[in-house]
Formats: sequence, C-alpha cells, structure tokens
Amino acid sequence: MPTMEDVARQPLAQRLDRMAGTADDLAAAIRGQSDTILSRRPDGKNWAAKEVICHLRDTEELFAGRFELIMTMDQPKLPPLHPSTPDRWAEERQYLRNDAAEALGAFRRRRDENLAFLRGLSPEQSKRGGGHPTRGTMTIDDWVTLIAWHDDNHLDQLVRARDGKP
Amino acid sequence: MPFGYYARLNKKQQAIYRQSDAVTEVRLPRPRDLDPLVAELGAALQSEVRARTQRATEELIRGLTDALEIAPVRVDVLAARPHARWGELHGLYTSDGRRPPKIQLWMRTAKQRRVVAFRTFLRTLLHEVGHHIDYTKLGLADSFHTEGFYKRESSLFHQLVPTPATERTASSVRSPEEYAALPLADRLARLERTPTELARLLRGRSEAVVAQRPASDAWAAGEVVCHLRDAEEHLARWMQMILSMDEPVLVQPSTADRWAEDRQYRRHHVGAAWDAFSRRRDETLALLRDVPPDAWRRAGRHRRRGKLRLDDLLNLMAWHDDNHLDQITRALDGRA
Repeated sequence: MPTMEDVARQPLAQRLDRMAGTADDLAAAIRGQSDTILSRRPDGKNWAAKEVICHLRDTEELFAGRFELIMTMDQPKLPPLHPSTPDRWAEERQYLRNDAAEALGAFRRRRDENLAFLRGLSPEQSKRGGGHPTRGTMTIDDWVTLIAWHDDNHLDQLVRARDGKP
Repeated sequence: MPFGYYARLNKKQQAIYRQSDAVTEVRLPRPRDLDPLVAELGAALQSEVRARTQRATEELIRGLTDALEIAPVRVDVLAARPHARWGELHGLYTSDGRRPPKIQLWMRTAKQRRVVAFRTFLRTLLHEVGHHIDYTKLGLADSFHTEGFYKRESSLFHQLVPTPATERTASSVRSPEEYAALPLADRLARLERTPTELARLLRGRSEAVVAQRPASDAWAAGEVVCHLRDAEEHLARWMQMILSMDEPVLVQPSTADRWAEDRQYRRHHVGAAWDAFSRRRDETLALLRDVPPDAWRRAGRHRRRGKLRLDDLLNLMAWHDDNHLDQITRALDGRA
C-alpha cells in the first residue's frame, strides 16, 4: 500500500481518480458477503467491514465541512478531531446496526459531491488552506492526498476484516 | 432485537444475554424512604466536596442494596474522570470473584474538571449498581449491556426521581427570544433537565411505538433521540469554534433529514442513543459552565442566520430541546 508521501507525488488527476474509484472498490469487496461476515470484528478492538464503510461515509461529510471552511475563511484554524472520535462515532452512531449497502450508498453520494466540488476548483483555489492542529497548514490539494491515502488504508482494512484478519 | 455484539458472543454468553434482556424492571419496596439520601447526594455534589460526595454515595448505595436485600458493595468516589477508549470513563464496576466487588465513580469531567450534573452522576451510579444487581439479585454469570439492563437502570432512576404530575404540552415550547430573557442559570438548567425528560417520555414504551412514524415524512420518537444526539455533537463543535476562533464560519455540510437517512436512524437502538446524547449533553454543560462572562458575546457567522453569538446558540439549543421534546410527545401519540 502506498504511503502518504507516495500518494502526494501523484498528479492531482490520479489522486482524484483514486477517490472516484473507491465506492466501486468497496462494493466489489463486500459483494455477496452476508451481514454476519460484514458485522464480524476480527478481534476485540478492530472494526468490522461495515464499520469501515460507515467511517468512510462519516469522514466524507467531515471533509466536505473542512472544504467549506477553507473556501469561506482566510486560512482558518481547522477544528481538531480527537483521536478517539472515530471509535466514539462507531459506538454512538451504532455502526454495527447499519446496513452496509445503504451506508455505501450514502458514502457514494457524499463522495460524488466532494469530487464535483474538487474538480470545479481552479489551481489557485486548490492552494487555499487551513491550519491543521498536528499537520500544520494543509491546502485543499493536501487534503486530496490525505483522502486518497485514507481510502487505500481503509479499503485494505476492510478486506482484512472481511477475511477475519485484524 | 439484540445489540450488534450479541453475534460475537458464544452460546453460553448469548443465553446470559437473553436472560438479562428479559428483565426490564427492578422494583424498590419503598422508594420514598430513599428521598433524603438522594437529596443529600444532590447537595453533596453541589458543594463540590469529594469527601461529602463519597459519604452520600456510600449511603445511597447502601440504601439501595439494603432495600433490595443484596450484598453491600464498596464504592470509591474519585475526582477527574480518566479517558476511556472513546471518551471519558464515568464509572466502573469490578468483580473478579476473589476480592469483594467495587464501584468507582468519578465526580469531575476529565478536561474541564467540572463537577458532573446530578442526574448524570445518579444515572452512572445506578448503572454500576445495575451490574451488581445482575450478579447478586438476578444471579447472572455475567453482566451485559442489554436493552433490559438499560431499562432496569431507567426503572431505578425513575423510582428515585419521580415524574412530576404535569405533562408536557405545546405551550412548554419557548421561543429562542423567550429564552433570551431568562437568566443564564435557568437556560443551563433547561439543558440539564432534557435527558431526564426524554427518558421519562420514553419509559415503558414498546420498541414498536418508539419506531412508529406518525406520518411518512415525520420522524418517529426514536429518530428524534438520534437527532438530538447528533445535533448535540454538532452544536458543541460550533461552540468550541466560536470560543477558539474569531468569527468562524459555522459550516453545515448536512441537513437533519440527511443525517437521519445517511446514518440510518431507524436502525438505531433508542436506549443507546439516549445514553450517548446524555453523555454529550453533560460535556456541553461542562463546556458552557466554564465560559467566562465576556465570552458569551463571542460569535460565529451562519449562512442563513447571520451573526450568531454564543449566547444566541444557547437560546437556540434550549428552544431546540423544547421543540423536539414536544415532537416526541406527539410522535408517541401518533400525531405528526
């Protein structure tokens, strides 16, 4: 799996293509799998496949909020996301009770909206940024890198979870 | 319908889970006898003195175990909550079979170190006592968080903090402008009461009633609870932004209806959603109680509402609570 640095070296179009293919990759990974398999955590602390999909759906909304903040403010301070937030979302939003196919549908809609926004940006607009609490200034272009890498990372995690591996 | 983790339990554990789920109430023979102990716990928390809170907690738990004729349990009231995997730890029950069982309760929030709200503390206390009851009264070999477990916790809470005679009506809904005229303490008290009022409305309702939409385009009571939970997180984030940035844009990348659909509210368990809302509300209150007087005028910019001061957000939140409590009342009666 490529590192974030590897992804950062790819042209923007390639990173956007990676983002555009993710919903189909997820669909292929869960096709024909039972709800029991998709709800099974590989161990006590790692997510089940359907939790990974719900996580991608919810972070996609978070990314949209960050883009809006960057576009409407001048170099905003981006609100920190506590490291425990993804696990807290999984618990509070009851990811394990979700239907994986519906969650994937919601992710696909959000992803399409974010791609439409990103593809409509001029090169100058892609350089707009905000202050990330740990990564320093992050431009929209940097966010595309992060999302593309995040997709790879969680696709890999989903396949492992599906196969019962942490 | 069991919680998601049921599928991961072995057969023996699943049998225990089903036994736990089937018991939905724990009756206290004379709950009013415990009123002075409940009142003292409230006063002790308000005094913010740990030793007094320790004593009051011990006495209330002893009152409960005596009333239920079960073995006593040791309790330690500690100061600031430690961090758990996904947030703050509120309480803990340990029973390893070798040493006497023990309850630990934390009386201050982790970050702000504020004393937790009385109802939240009492809920946590009853939650941990609930585990003790599972082993000593119900004779269960394990203590799982089942729907029955949460209902038993609620049944104890409502015996100790009974329902006022007055029912909610549409006139209970105050506008944000009406809230603006009230003192800060009253508005914060409004927020503090909401989890209890919500629990009272939902108590004893069947899953089918809670999941029933009064009209195809109107939420069921359970969906409203999920909405309150998610709105709490969202509004608290706006408040944090206002406190840490100069006039931030208050972005809203979703709508309430889209959350309901995308996050599949209709599949959520309402008791667990209430629990999450209650915890989030406690955190919001801790944040708001630490706001210095001049910071209430800090503001953010909202696309539709324009400039929103922190004070305005508090009024909106209080109205939002009223509005959705009213909506739940109607939904439970089958009215849109």
